[in-house]
Amino acid sequence: MTALKRALAGLLAVAATARAQDARLAQRLDKPTYVAVNAIVDSARVAKLPTAPLVDKALEGAAKGSDGQKIVLAVHQLSIRMTSARHVLGSSSSPDEIKAAGTALDAGVSERDLERVKAAGGKRSVTMPLTVLTDLVGRQVPIVTATSLVVQLSRSGVKDPDLALFQRNVRADIDRGADPTVAATTRARGLVGRGASPKTKPAQ
Amino acid sequence: MRDDDNVKIRDVARALREPVRVDASFNERVMHAVREMPKHSRLSFWRRFAMPRTITVRPVAASLIAASLIVFALVGLWHVSDDLDQAAKPIAKAIFPPKVAPDQHVQFVLVAPDAKKVAVVGDFNGWDASHSAYQAQHRGGGVWAVLATVPVGHHRYSFVVDDSLWVADPTAPRVVDNDFGTTNSAIVVEEQR
Repeated sequence: MTALKRALAGLLAVAATARAQDARLAQRLDKPTYVAVNAIVDSARVAKLPTAPLVDKALEGAAKGSDGQKIVLAVHQLSIRMTSARHVLGSSSSPDEIKAAGTALDAGVSERDLERVKAAGGKRSVTMPLTVLTDLVGRQVPIVTATSLVVQLSRSGVKDPDLALFQRNVRADIDRGADPTVAATTRARGLVGRGASPKTKPAQ
Repeated sequence: MRDDDNVKIRDVARALREPVRVDASFNERVMHAVREMPKHSRLSFWRRFAMPRTITVRPVAASLIAASLIVFALVGLWHVSDDLDQAAKPIAKAIFPPKVAPDQHVQFVLVAPDAKKVAVVGDFNGWDASHSAYQAQHRGGGVWAVLATVPVGHHRYSFVVDDSLWVADPTAPRVVDNDFGTTNSAIVVEEQR
């Protein structure tokens, strides 16, 4: 009975969330944009893709004052990237992994690179490795180098908190004037050399 | 002696020539018994399968048949396992909803000496710069900070300074935004144990 109540509560919560998302879109988008975005979101729902990132993308565009055409294009492209991401990562991948992979693809990371990161991580979540990879690419580390470093760290068993620490150290080195590639390579070598520290606090 | 034999033979032949006297229900009883006998050559297709019978099979042949069936079943199961898994997931989720991790507290900090107002926007608050829970407070020295709740997971966010300037968090991983022209930040929030 308790399970049934929880199930009903869950279904109601999902339905309420969907309505709330639609309401937010209706409030912040003009009618043609709202209709177009809704159609893309519905298609994604049918394809069993996570729809929240698409709604968020539309809301982001509205918050940044973008015109409707740009918003629709952005949402459409995100749905394509997420489809590719799920194809590469597999149907059992989490919404966060698909979201992170979609962001990585947007940054220029190829599907082949995603496959390498996924393979290196094994059964672990690739959300953090892909987030760090996207960051490195955004900081002008060449994609080939950044992918190789993240793959190397994942294969070495470096845990998420250590990956976050690695990202912060690379960023600090670059801020101090270091070459991005040199900073990333040196920090990765140091992390692999000393092994993953199990006591590192999660970064937030 | 031979004459005696001939007489006996004649008596037997005479007795055999006598018509056999049967009662009136004889024919009926005979036909009933015939109808009750199992049919052999005229069995229907279904009754041939349904009727119990003893079949003799060589152990080698039986082993081969059993092994083939097991291999066939395993290959079939392997092919449909992914589909079954996908079909079962929503049902399992509906019956046993996954435990939802509670929102975590995250400290957002931005150094903006000239700012008059700083807000955090992201996919965790619908990119709403007016959301009251995400308004940073000035802590002195140009440091703006807010301790906000964020759901567990991967998020993109940014600071909005004075309702107009979008600034990525300099301490967080970057997310180059090719859609709307500004760089966002990324955060992976994990459940604290």
